[in-house]
Amino acid sequence: MVVRLFNDRDWQQARRLIETQGLQFEENFEVLLGIFEAGELIATAARERNIFKMICIRNDHQGGPCLGELITELLNSGSYAGFHSFFVFTKPEHKFSFEQLNFTPLVNHHKICLLEYGTGLKHYLTRHQSLTKPGLNGAVIVNCNPFTLGHRYLIETAAARVDHLYVFVVREDRSVFPFDIRLRLVREGTADLPNISILDTSDYAISSVTFPAYFLKQDDDIQTLQMELDLILFAKHIAPFFQIRKRFIGTEPYCRTTRIYSETMLRVLSGFNIETIQLERQKNRNKVISAFRVREALKKEALETLRDLVPETTFQFLLSDQARELRARLLDYQRRH
Amino acid sequence: MQFKRKAQAGTMQSSDLMVFLEPADELRIEIESTVKKQFEPLIRRQIEAVLKKHQIRSGQVRISDRGALDYAIVARLEAGIKRACS
Repeated sequence: MVVRLFNDRDWQQARRLIETQGLQFEENFEVLLGIFEAGELIATAARERNIFKMICIRNDHQGGPCLGELITELLNSGSYAGFHSFFVFTKPEHKFSFEQLNFTPLVNHHKICLLEYGTGLKHYLTRHQSLTKPGLNGAVIVNCNPFTLGHRYLIETAAARVDHLYVFVVREDRSVFPFDIRLRLVREGTADLPNISILDTSDYAISSVTFPAYFLKQDDDIQTLQMELDLILFAKHIAPFFQIRKRFIGTEPYCRTTRIYSETMLRVLSGFNIETIQLERQKNRNKVISAFRVREALKKEALETLRDLVPETTFQFLLSDQARELRARLLDYQRRH
Repeated sequence: MQFKRKAQAGTMQSSDLMVFLEPADELRIEIESTVKKQFEPLIRRQIEAVLKKHQIRSGQVRISDRGALDYAIVARLEAGIKRACS
């Protein structure tokens, strides 16, 4: 019988089981489940939001009913938590076991497979069917935390070079500005551009924050793997649907992560016949415009600086009553992105 | 009858199925199955018969099947319907 693991002792057992299988125990989860036999933990699995992870069954119980039982309970808890689709990242050799449980492979990479349970991707694409346009199309994927003149420049320049530009705003809320505000500011700031569509990435942008790395080796470059997976997912499923042939990205002088991302992008996307185009970042007073600078200026209430960094639409919003709570939250916010 | 809430029934064990039900304006049936190629029309017919019997005309019905036999499909769906309509 599958039970929830609550206490420290059970967690220690789960950690031991996971580690003896050569995997790593990750602390981030909402639910940790286990199956006991004669007082000993023989299988475990966890869920963080809509991601199943640390699925681990003792060798002598593999191939039996344990996996089905664990997945059933993960699905039960996840559905009642409000999720419709679920993801599992696993080693390629375990792909088949998940396919037997109606998981669909989304990305096959030689080190990792990403599979989905449910029809999330299909629904995501069908929902945006009306936005598809024929022609030579492009894409940018932006977080816009918040929307700056730099974003405006990237989108405007990219739009001028393709028939239609899809602007994907990262859905995941790990930023000061919540998704609906970020999306709204992108819409308002680009309302005059005729050949763009703005949409959200839904679950189909894999962030480094949610990427589970428990089954990878210590010496694997986790960051690069996560990026590769994200890019393959885009190239294989998103780009063909919208006929995207060019992906645009701003050059990144100081952030190492973003720089590696653009290098990886060039390498991965070229394999799918998608061109990566780097655009010089927009500058003001010899410094590139970044959302980070905007947040800093807002924190210091440097309104003149702010006015130089964001379009009027964002500026008005930042000073509005509606943004009061955000301004307060920004004062405690330390992270860079 | 009509779905009033989200409900589910069944398991992902071999020869079983999971049923996910949700209120919706129109009737939508989605079937995933390890034997989809061979049996999708039969599974669909079975589901439609059960829905008809319970006079369900709208709602989202999602089936994730692992090769369940007819009576298992009927039983799981009926359990789900009772939960969703109560």
